Amino acid sequence: MAPPEHTALIAALAAIVGAERCLARREELFVYECDGLTLHTADPSAVVFPETRAEVQAIVRACRQHGVPFVPRGAGTGLSGGALANDGAVVIECSRMNRIRAIDPPNRLAVVEPGVVNADLSAAARPHGLFYAPDPSSQLACTLGGNVAENSGGPHTLKYGTTTDHVVALELVLPDGSCFELGSPTGFTPGFDFVGAVVGSEGTLGIVTAIVVRLEPIPEAVETLLAIFPDVVSACRAVGAVIEAALVPAALEIVDQRTIRAVEDSVYAAGLPRDAGAILIVELDGPAVALPAQVERVRELCAGAGADRVEIARDEAERQRFWRARKGAFGAMGRLAPDLYVHDAVVPRRALPEVLAKVCEIGDRHRLTLSNVFHAGDGNLHPNISFDRRDPEMLARVMAAGEEILRLCVAAGGVITGEHGVGTEKREFISLVFSDADLEAMQRLRATFDPDRSCNPGKIFPTTRFCAESNPKARGYDRVPL
Amino acid sequence: MGELEALAPQLGDALRFHDPVAVDGVPVNATLVPRDADDLSALLVALGEERCAAIPLGAGTQLGLGNAPRRADCFVSLEAFSAIDELDASEGVCHAGAGTPLAELRARVAEAGWELPLDDAGRGGTLGGALATAALAPRALGFGRPRDVVLGCEVVLADGLRTRCGGRVVKNVTGYDMAKLYVGSLGALGVITGAWLRLAPKSAAVRVLQGDELSDADAVELGVFAARLATAHSCLLCDETRGLRATVELAGDEASVEQDARQLEERGLHGANSALRDAAAARRFAALRGALRVVVSALPMRIAPCVMELRGQGVELLVLPGLGLVCARASAEDADALFDAAARAARAGGGRMLCERAPHEAKHGRDVFGAPPAEVALSRALKARFDPNDVLNRGRFAGGV
Repeated sequence: MAPPEHTALIAALAAIVGAERCLARREELFVYECDGLTLHTADPSAVVFPETRAEVQAIVRACRQHGVPFVPRGAGTGLSGGALANDGAVVIECSRMNRIRAIDPPNRLAVVEPGVVNADLSAAARPHGLFYAPDPSSQLACTLGGNVAENSGGPHTLKYGTTTDHVVALELVLPDGSCFELGSPTGFTPGFDFVGAVVGSEGTLGIVTAIVVRLEPIPEAVETLLAIFPDVVSACRAVGAVIEAALVPAALEIVDQRTIRAVEDSVYAAGLPRDAGAILIVELDGPAVALPAQVERVRELCAGAGADRVEIARDEAERQRFWRARKGAFGAMGRLAPDLYVHDAVVPRRALPEVLAKVCEIGDRHRLTLSNVFHAGDGNLHPNISFDRRDPEMLARVMAAGEEILRLCVAAGGVITGEHGVGTEKREFISLVFSDADLEAMQRLRATFDPDRSCNPGKIFPTTRFCAESNPKARGYDRVPL
Repeated sequence: MGELEALAPQLGDALRFHDPVAVDGVPVNATLVPRDADDLSALLVALGEERCAAIPLGAGTQLGLGNAPRRADCFVSLEAFSAIDELDASEGVCHAGAGTPLAELRARVAEAGWELPLDDAGRGGTLGGALATAALAPRALGFGRPRDVVLGCEVVLADGLRTRCGGRVVKNVTGYDMAKLYVGSLGALGVITGAWLRLAPKSAAVRVLQGDELSDADAVELGVFAARLATAHSCLLCDETRGLRATVELAGDEASVEQDARQLEERGLHGANSALRDAAAARRFAALRGALRVVVSALPMRIAPCVMELRGQGVELLVLPGLGLVCARASAEDADALFDAAARAARAGGGRMLCERAPHEAKHGRDVFGAPPAEVALSRALKARFDPNDVLNRGRFAGGV
């Protein structure tokens, strides 16, 4: 049964999309209580599945009329609680807006709806010799609308950039129900760069109903190296050497020993040496004539940094094996504990060795199983903490360690998120990076689009400034519904 | 006594009067020279209280960009913000003040073994000016647009609020990407005082190739092909006396550059003196600084019809196929015809138009940014939030905000 105060709204929503595309019973809503970050929960008032822009506009207007906020949601794979239905919001689930409206190979563009799955776009573009570059780890499930909201990256961000580097135009339904076409397919937009502002705004400025993206040519050749190091510090040193050598690999990924062992104990086993301190995956792509010299240079740099050995994938199967160690890491963690907290922060690349040592020390001090798989080329750390959320005491240690890691990264010149977003998870920590004045400027942007804060409330901005230390619910680690 | 004169005691040493400098017909005879960001903040607050209007000023190389100001009492000089505070060669990032001359910054970055990925096409100017105008030049093909280069920046908003966004790290989604909003906004929201930049690796090899006497159709087809080569760094098609000349700069590793050069040679281009590498872009851009200049964007496959629309006006053209830009120069008396043709060309190209330069009489009654009405409404709302007293660049930006 829907809460009685929402009965009229739910009837209005059902009238817009039909009863079969409007969920309101508690058991139906349960799956929408969280996203990929299960630490936080919030119960939506309803979940609606629009199929057109007009339906989105009507839904937004109905919510506005009834004074109920709303939250856009894609596949729910986000890792910062960005799609949580705070304040009893209505979830606008965009997965049925999943048409690839056009692929324009001569102009290297695609027009898609927000519910298109990331990997599906690359699959559709591949026969034309093109692909969509941002490749978050969840690309088999995550949607492009969600990618726009979070400015998603992925392992190949180092060379190809994040979502913002590939989106040239958007159709955006504002919280008042009006609709704007922003940007230009040509990428040239005299005037404010509203597209740049909307990408990465975590669904707080409106609901994206169409996206024009740039497609990239599939590189002529790819070479993948796997360097095995005695420890993480020397692997980080190799990353620094590659960057300083002015090489721009497509990816530079480090997997630490704890992760290697977890992977080797799992179905993702890639034949890695269990006693390796860390592995570094280096992927180079581009013209075939360029790669032999680059491969040799990377091999030298890895050896110089202390690699025990460097393997070069001989074929696609071996390349996939190398990547299995990286891509299977999160799945492998599932063997260690029921829950996994995938943390996300960024530091200057040269700070990686020192910060990683301290991250591990933090995990050990809090008696947690902490492992690291990360985008080393970007300085983007992903300390992964395995835990059991049913154990409140352990949960408290997880969150305490998480906070310490964030403070450590900020002190090293870094930031609190490189690709997961602030969402609900880190909203109380954004003040570690930005002053009140900085946040005020962001609020002015938000107020331009959403003066009533009805679109995805409770994200990004602190709700309990200066009170986070004493308010465990604000810190969100007790799984108390927000 | 004007409002600015009335403020003189409050503005103190920062206020300097001088001979009038006309900005689109509006004479400006004073410049504020803040010592630091706090000073700048206080000055902007004072200007706002008296409803005065100011124009941020770097080297003044692009003062002609924008709509005619509705009012301008003074410039705000960024000369005190001229410092390269940090250059981290191991990271490939640097931080510099907005008043730093691009030439100085470029030289320092080169000394450190990197390249500054901001092409001013010989205009000169300051870092702040390059970011505020986000002006595109040929090497944006290889470097990316100015918006892509900025990792973070410090901005004093029009009402004096001192803010910072982004950071020094190369990947960051902490909060809104405010830098995207500030870069290219012509100081309409605030004054950029410094920025963190992502530097570009130096290329091991560079080659320049040219082809002459090309028809429009052949040149555009060749240009799109060349601009899509892996090592294409810049690609210009410019009017010469007997057709278009294509100039392509390749940069990257030696093997890739050689391979791409061979492909261009097979299409009839020939190696050019490497001195052209720097000279070509600058010379062509300088040549186009006529009284009236418009830029029209087009999808790659629609550049040709876009060129046809403009060609009918007898203008001089410069095409950047990789960036999808067609620049046209005409004399001032052709303003109406050129604006109309540019609007048609933008439609033909599936893009937008911008009038980069025009006599102020020609700007009257027009939005030189060609902003669509819906976007103007959002722009006005944004401006009102950030600059409630309409202090900065009053009326100059898109939609007259």
